[in-house]
Amino acid sequence: MQPLLRYWAAGLIRYDKAYKIQKLLASRHQTQKAQNVILLVEHPPVYTIGIRTNPYPIDEEERLRRLGADFHRTNRGGLITFHGPGQLVAYPIVNLKELNLGVRSYVCLIEKAVMRTCRHFGVDSVRTSKEPNETGVWVSNAKICAIGVHASRFITSHGLALNCNTELSWYRHIVPCGLVGKEVTSLTKLLGQNVTVQQVAPVLVRAFCDELNCTASNFTHEEQQEILKEIL
Amino acid sequence: MVVCSVVVRRLLAAAPAAPRHVFTGLRWVTSTPVKFNERKYTDKHEWVQVDGKIGTIGITHYAQDALGDVVYAQLPDPGQEFSQMDECGALESVKAASELYCPVSGKIVSKNTEVEDTPGLINKSCYEKGWLFKLELSKLHELDGLMDEAQYEKFLKTDDH
Repeated sequence: MQPLLRYWAAGLIRYDKAYKIQKLLASRHQTQKAQNVILLVEHPPVYTIGIRTNPYPIDEEERLRRLGADFHRTNRGGLITFHGPGQLVAYPIVNLKELNLGVRSYVCLIEKAVMRTCRHFGVDSVRTSKEPNETGVWVSNAKICAIGVHASRFITSHGLALNCNTELSWYRHIVPCGLVGKEVTSLTKLLGQNVTVQQVAPVLVRAFCDELNCTASNFTHEEQQEILKEIL
Repeated sequence: MVVCSVVVRRLLAAAPAAPRHVFTGLRWVTSTPVKFNERKYTDKHEWVQVDGKIGTIGITHYAQDALGDVVYAQLPDPGQEFSQMDECGALESVKAASELYCPVSGKIVSKNTEVEDTPGLINKSCYEKGWLFKLELSKLHELDGLMDEAQYEKFLKTDDH
C-alpha cells in the first residue's frame, strides 16, 4: 500500500496564520502524529523575504507596506517574492529522511511536480535552470513559479507559489527573487484564458503524489478544526 | 567486582589507545582519549575537530553534496552559547535554508568570515577552508557520543543516514 500524502486546501488565509499552521504540522513530526502533509492556500497581498535579509532594510519594508501589502521576514531560502489572490501557494510539510531525499533532490521534486501541473493545463514549454539563484519553474524568460523552502531536523516548511491568475503588477515594485531583467508570468497570461487556484490545486496535489509515489488523502473537517483551534 | 589497582595500571599501560577504564572509588569511569586533530561526526553530517578545548565545526562532503551549491551561510556570532544539537545557523542552497546544529555544547569563539563572503568554499573545501565556526567546548565528554571516521563511513552506508 502506498504511503499517504495528506492535503488541506485551506482557502484564503493570512500569511502569518498559515505559518502558524505550518509550524504546528511540522511539530507533529516529532511526535506520534507524524504525517506528510501539503497545505494549499491563497494569501492576501504580501511580500516575503528569506534568510538573506541585507537587501531589504526597514525602509524597503515600509515602502512595500505603503502599497497596501503585508510584509514578512521568514526563515526560508530565496530572496523577495510576492503572494496574493490568484496565486496557489503550497506548503509541503514532509519528512525528508523518511522520503530518502536530500534538500537538493527535494527542491528538484517540487520543480517536477509544478512542471507536470503546468503541462496538464497545456503549458508545455516549462523549464528549470541549473543556476542556483534561478531555482523555480520558468517559461522562457519569465518565472511562473517561485520556490523557497526551509529544512529543520529533516522536516520541511515553506514551499512554492504558482501564478494561476495573479495580478502580476504587484511584482513591478520588487526585483522578484533578486533577478534583474527577468519577468513573471501566470497560467492565465500564457493560455489567454482564466485559470483559477481552485482548478489548479487538485492537479498539483496529484502531481506531488505521482512524484512521491503516495496516495492523496484529504484532511477531514474535524482535523482542520482541531488545528485551527490549536493555533488560536 | 574489586580489582587491584596495580593490575589496573598494568592493563592501562598495555593498551594506551583503547578506552580507559579507571577505577575511581566505587565507580568505573570510561573515557576515550581524543587523538589530536581527529574529526568526530554527527548523524546530521557535521564534523568537529578539537584542539584542546577549541572545536572547529563544519559539514561533511556528503552534506555539501546533498545541499547543492551553497549561496549563503548564516553563522553564529562569537559570544553566543549553545547546547548540543541546538539550531545555531543555516546554509542556503537552491532556495532552501537548511538548519545548522551545534554538535557539542559551548561558546562560539569565531566564525569563518571567508565563508560568509565566499559560501562556495563549503562545497569546494568542506574540511579545510570551508570550516564554519569555532567554539570553546563546555562539555568535552559529549565527544564520546559522536562517531569517528570509520563509524561515520559505516553510517553513510546504512539506510538511516
